[in-house]
Amino acid sequence: MNTKPGKSLSISTSLPGSASVGSSITGSTGVARPRIATIAKLHEVAISRLLLAISLVSGSILRLWQINAMGFNTDEAVYAGQAAAIAGVPVLKDIFPIFRAHPLLIQFMLALIYKIQFSDVAGRFLAVAFGLGTVYLTYLAGKTLYGRLPGAMASLFIALMPYDVTVSRQFLLDGPMVFFGTLTLYLLARFAKTQKVEWFYASAAALGLTFLAKETGIIMLASVFVFLALSTVLRLRFRDLVLSLVLLVLVISPMPITLLLAKRGSTGQNYLTYQLFRRPNHPALFYWQTVPPALGIMLLVVAVVGLVFLWRERSWRETLLLSWIMVPVIFFQIWPVKGFQYLLPIAPAVALLAGRLLGKLVDRRRDAQTSRGGINLLAVPSLLSWAVVGVMAFSLGFASWQRIQPEASSLFLAGTGGIPGGREAGLWIKQNVPLGAKFMAIGPSMANIIEFYGERAANGLSVNPNPLHRNPAYDPILNPDLQLRSSDIQYIVWDSYSSGRSRFFADKLLAYVKKYNGRVVHTESISVKDSQGNLVSQPVIIIFEVHP
Amino acid sequence: MIHRKIFALLLTVLLAASQIVTAKASAAQTTGPQAKTPIQHLIVLMQENHTFDNYFGTYPGADGLPGNVKMPVNPANPAAGYVIPWHIGTTTITDLSHTAPTFLAQYDNGKWDGFVSALDAFNQNGTIAMGYYDSSDIPYYWNLAGNYVLFDHFFSSAKDGSFANHMYWVAATDPQVKKGQQLATVLQNVPTIFDRLQAAGVSWKFYVENYNPQITYLNPSTQSNRESQVVWVPLLNFPRFISNKDLSSHIVDLSQYFVDLQQGSLPAVAYIVPSGASEHPPEYPASGEREVKSLLQELMRSSSWNSSAFMLLYDDWGGWYDHVLPPQVDAQGYGARIPGLLVSPYAKKGYIDSTQLDFTSVLKFIETNWNVASLETRDANANNFLSAFDFSQAPRQAQLLTMTYGAAPAPNKAPSILIFSSYGLALLLTILAIGFAVVRLRKSAIPVKE
Repeated sequence: MNTKPGKSLSISTSLPGSASVGSSITGSTGVARPRIATIAKLHEVAISRLLLAISLVSGSILRLWQINAMGFNTDEAVYAGQAAAIAGVPVLKDIFPIFRAHPLLIQFMLALIYKIQFSDVAGRFLAVAFGLGTVYLTYLAGKTLYGRLPGAMASLFIALMPYDVTVSRQFLLDGPMVFFGTLTLYLLARFAKTQKVEWFYASAAALGLTFLAKETGIIMLASVFVFLALSTVLRLRFRDLVLSLVLLVLVISPMPITLLLAKRGSTGQNYLTYQLFRRPNHPALFYWQTVPPALGIMLLVVAVVGLVFLWRERSWRETLLLSWIMVPVIFFQIWPVKGFQYLLPIAPAVALLAGRLLGKLVDRRRDAQTSRGGINLLAVPSLLSWAVVGVMAFSLGFASWQRIQPEASSLFLAGTGGIPGGREAGLWIKQNVPLGAKFMAIGPSMANIIEFYGERAANGLSVNPNPLHRNPAYDPILNPDLQLRSSDIQYIVWDSYSSGRSRFFADKLLAYVKKYNGRVVHTESISVKDSQGNLVSQPVIIIFEVHP
Repeated sequence: MIHRKIFALLLTVLLAASQIVTAKASAAQTTGPQAKTPIQHLIVLMQENHTFDNYFGTYPGADGLPGNVKMPVNPANPAAGYVIPWHIGTTTITDLSHTAPTFLAQYDNGKWDGFVSALDAFNQNGTIAMGYYDSSDIPYYWNLAGNYVLFDHFFSSAKDGSFANHMYWVAATDPQVKKGQQLATVLQNVPTIFDRLQAAGVSWKFYVENYNPQITYLNPSTQSNRESQVVWVPLLNFPRFISNKDLSSHIVDLSQYFVDLQQGSLPAVAYIVPSGASEHPPEYPASGEREVKSLLQELMRSSSWNSSAFMLLYDDWGGWYDHVLPPQVDAQGYGARIPGLLVSPYAKKGYIDSTQLDFTSVLKFIETNWNVASLETRDANANNFLSAFDFSQAPRQAQLLTMTYGAAPAPNKAPSILIFSSYGLALLLTILAIGFAVVRLRKSAIPVKE
């Protein structure tokens, strides 16, 4: 972790945004050059600010457009339900346990809002705020690492990226976790750049919040250690490292403390045991199939090309970003449980690597140095890279725009959006079903939505009664036949999303409907295209009243 | 894909069919006189043989068992000892004698101290009479009381057993049969509430669990488990309710109750009597509770809920102790207090109604609500139970109650303040750490040599 002074010149001249660059140019090229450089600098500032403004505006539009067109999906319902329980929202506080699988920082923040106004869209607005915060933090991180322009470009990519747009439109824990993760990255970059340990302390605290947002954020601690181990420029005393770890532990301490004081210490342990030994929920190539299109293939290519093209100019910056990318990728590839949004923390780092190359190519000052008379051949790469930025921004934005359209589908991938008809079915239940009624759904996904919107207890038939083989956050229906027969369960809900995932339990559920004289009392349908391309109405959620 | 299409088609057919059924049901709605209150459907279930103290003697806030109760084993000999109320739980009990002579012996000329001795005299274990149930035994009923209305001064109408009290329930009288007379002959001239309703064009039905139309006064069952039908359905002792199709068609099996609820064709007045799950000792209350729960859940899930009132009553005291000496309004009554519950969207929540009532109060309500004439002096003078309703409130959303008494265990034992304070501090700590770095290093952001 010692510096290597011999590298300083080559790297610092490659940094258009750093203070040292301007001074090196000024000192070597006579009287007119400083003025040109100043103008170029002003242009860069203006262009960067413009790009940042475009990022924030377009990011806001993409994240807010029809944000409430569809109700919560199952994870959103659980987190919002926990927030409601913390805030003491009537009925929901008796349905949703506060402690489930994850820490409660984001639920706590939503609970503060719920204390003032209870609304499902509030959670989504909070997620959008974190999403836009990530856009800005990506800019700050980019500015720190490579200068304003690459930072602004990276923020534009993040703002338009389908991966981040999709996730940060939902009230999930991943979006805020990425926000705090990016904050950690930014603070770490400032530490590396200034060698001032105060930034390292701050990054340790931010990493703590990353964990408190979602426990998988602790993976970034491994990224930090990998960075510290591989970097040759950092000086960090052992004492500072220990103090930072103490600060990290202090920040994450609310999770174990609240669990212990609430006598729910086994909750986290059970969940970890379950996650360690559960069967994989997706094939091994899941991330390779879903994440690159969500990140943007072109963006990935530019980031990789940048790494190769600028390999000789590599520094601690790339070590930091690659650590930020590779550790989660390797971890989640090995970890049996896979989720669409799990790799989102790498998105800002990928965007920064892409911004690094494109920013380098549009270095306005280098253009300015050579543009006095004649054809400016060096402006060609600049123009080309601006074209690439434009194409990438368009393709990312277009892909995001397509993803956020409330397209009806009878199938669903967790983490990609809301469930069509789920909120409507829940609200129908709230209005028309007696209080205290109990529902049986195919699985816990639909059960969570019913509980949040319908304010009625619901359980999933597919939840394994064996505690070793179920998510400890869910309660199984012990002897469903008896509970139906004795009218302890009065309603059954079939949904196409769960049915598509678990045909066995869907059939079992319908067998109970038949056995106990199920009567359709409500149906939610969506319009889907048939094989001829015609729009047809297809039931996606059916509520049965059973009469033993 | 084909599977889904077939499913969608099937569903469409099902939905269409259910709409047809609903439309038919709407057409089958009653066309009689409008009710004077929002209660357009009164359902009264008559269960068997318990006193108020036996079921609700320890219910908080009700006129239940006093703390100093002790019943002499022999009222004439205090030295023989006393029996104090005891919790039955799962103790095996017997069918205590509950005839008119037993009542008189327990009444003991108004001293109300013969509950143990009267049963001992019948070679029964009189100690059982002092037993009571509590929330652990009848949680559903206690939950009903907590959410709707519990009557703690509802008396059985007659100092007698089932038949007399059932007669008061339908006719406000228990006509005395003189020597040489046939009951059926006497009853020919006794009007019932159903005659009144029939004449007024108000819909009514008498739902009988496991109803067998062959078992009437003409052909009483010799099977011990079915002989109660003629006792608990007093109409089956009236010749006209057997021979006249217009009347007899209103006496139907209990399964029709569920059909009527689903089709929206519940009559204005519905009487229900059990067969198997009557709670008649030595039967445990649990099976009756489940039956009542089933009846109520179906009502609550039906379109009739918003305009209904469901009463749960017990026909007589069953030999059990009750500490309130019954007022004597005439030679035949009252008998001992019985448990009474009213469940309705207009019922006051968790209300204990102490109005003095008896089975003829049910008739009084019907007569008032549907504007039909009273039958006898008893019902004419009876108190109504309108005080149990709050018609100024919007109909309450139905609430399905559980077989576990009291509030469900709170899923969140940790106070929210713990979450707010600990997570708030973590957030504050981070803000301070970043703020410290920003303020301290604002002027020293010199890049490191690389």
